[in-house]
This record gives sequence, structure tokens and C-alpha cells, in this order.
Amino acid sequence: MKKWIKILTIIFLVGIIGAGFGYKFVYNKPHRDYEKAKADYSISGKELFLQFNNSTTQASERYTGKVLEITGHLSNVETPDSLIIAVFTFAEGMFGDEGIRCAMLPKYAENISQYIGTDVKLKGYCTGYNETDVIMEKCSVIN
Amino acid sequence: MKKIKLLALIFMVVSCAGYSQKYFTKNGHIKFYSETPIEKIEAHNRQVNSALDASTGDFVFKVLIKSFEFEKALMEEHFNENYMDSDKFPDATFTGKIVNTSAIDFLKDGMYDADVEGDLKIHGETKKVKEKGTFEVSGGKIIGKSVFIVHPADYKIKIPNTVVNNIAEDIQVTVEVILEQVNK
Repeated sequence: MKKWIKILTIIFLVGIIGAGFGYKFVYNKPHRDYEKAKADYSISGKELFLQFNNSTTQASERYTGKVLEITGHLSNVETPDSLIIAVFTFAEGMFGDEGIRCAMLPKYAENISQYIGTDVKLKGYCTGYNETDVIMEKCSVIN
Repeated sequence: MKKIKLLALIFMVVSCAGYSQKYFTKNGHIKFYSETPIEKIEAHNRQVNSALDASTGDFVFKVLIKSFEFEKALMEEHFNENYMDSDKFPDATFTGKIVNTSAIDFLKDGMYDADVEGDLKIHGETKKVKEKGTFEVSGGKIIGKSVFIVHPADYKIKIPNTVVNNIAEDIQVTVEVILEQVNK
């Protein structure tokens, strides 16, 4: 009898611990740290934009969902809504400037503006091309 | 050969005529919300491209699926990999028209009810939709808002049995765009 109780207690405890681990590391697992992530591709911003602009499908298959390191001349920083967006402009379209729009991680909110008008290297998660711009999320400055 | 872009397409006729009232934003906001007794799930995308031609009522938006942000990383992963197949279908689009343009004066400040009709393409599936929304004209800007329901099953989005109780059959989608006139 006692042995059964022991075994059941152990199974019960293992179950509780397993559920705890599952909750913490699976259900509540943290978002990927894109600041520390290794870049899949390192490419000039202009080249990236042109590839998406000229052959969207091929460029999307290669770069969408990947961590990219891009270099380019930072044109502007916009702050719509709660976002901080580093803007690289490479073309002029029907609706105005076209290029790459990088949503910065909050910790770069203060210092990204200092790079306007200079060459900068950013790393982030590419989510694709929306017919005017290539979009990058969770971006950090590498300079 | 350069293909014609969706956003550009709807404006071509009007532009050729040399008269248009084009409005545009790159920072529209789309939210979706799913609620079941077990779980509430909410996701936001704040980099939505949207364009409106006030003279014809043509209205489009385009959203990148991978730009949706969730509170939990696991949900974001499931959303992209299991439900939306975002590698295969990286974006969703709406191409349509405001049906009752005669009832809206885009040059006069005010709040107007709008009936919008068109094609909603999600997960590679296109459905005709007819929704209600509002357009608020304020100081030269047009603020468009609409809340509508999307059924994942209509777009061939399969929810696995293991989480079928966690995800609602009716997903509430909220679209909010602050459109500014294009200076061209």
C-alpha cells in the first residue's frame, strides 16, 4: 500500500512540475530577442528594396520572416501612434516616398534620431513588402 | 515586365483624367480580438497601408501578416505557422468601394456613416464582404473606422481540435486609418 502512495505522489509531483515548466517555457515562452539574434542576411538597404520592388515573390521567399542586417542612409524618423520608425527612402511613388520602414525597439527611441542624414546599420525582423515599402520590426542599431 | 500594383491600379483611371482626391496612410491600425471562456487573444498591426480616392470611393488596404504582434510569443508563432501560413500568404488585402459616397462630403468636417463593399483576401482566399464603418473628416484628414466579424473557416483557416476551445469562431476585426491627402 505504502509503495503505491509513494508512486502516486511522485507521479503527481512530476505532473505538477511538468505543468509548471510547460506553462512557463511553452505557453509563456518569451518573444524572440531580435537584438541578440544572429542575422540571416546582411544586405544594403537599397539592394533589399530593389529586390522586393522588382520581384516581390522571390524576394519575399528569401527575406520575409528572416532577421536582416541592413545598411543605408537614414532619411527620417517618424513617430506615428506609439511607434518609432526609421525611414530609408529609395524611390518616389504615387503616394510619396518608398523604401524601408523599420519599427525600432523602444530602447532606441531616443538615439535613433541622431543618425538622420548619416549611414546607419540596423538589424530587425523583416515582415515583407506592402507595395510601397519593405517593413522591418523590432529593429536595433548596430553601429 | 513590371507588374501593376494593387494600390496604384484603382487610381489609374482617375489619375489619367487629371482629377482626384487621393488620401493615404502607411500607419493604419488593424486589431483583431478573439474571446472564449478559456482565453482572450488580441493582436495589433500598426503598419497598415491604406488608400482612399474620395472622388470615386475606391478604398483599399494591405497588411503584412507577420507584422501582427501578440502578447504571447506562442500565440504569434501558432498564428503565423499553423493558421495563417504567413510564409505562403504574407499579406491580406481589402479592395473595395464606399457605396454611399454621395452621402459623404470629404471636404467638409464631420462624421459620416459609410457602407463599404469589396473583396477581402485573407490566407489566399477572397470573399465578397459588405461592412459598415464611419469616416470622420477633420482638418483635411479622413479618419476611417470599421469593426466587423471574420470567420476563420470562410478563409480556409483550420483551427486544430486541441485549441478549438481557445479560439473564437467569430474574430472581431477593428480597422482604423488616419488618411492624409497625397500632395501630387
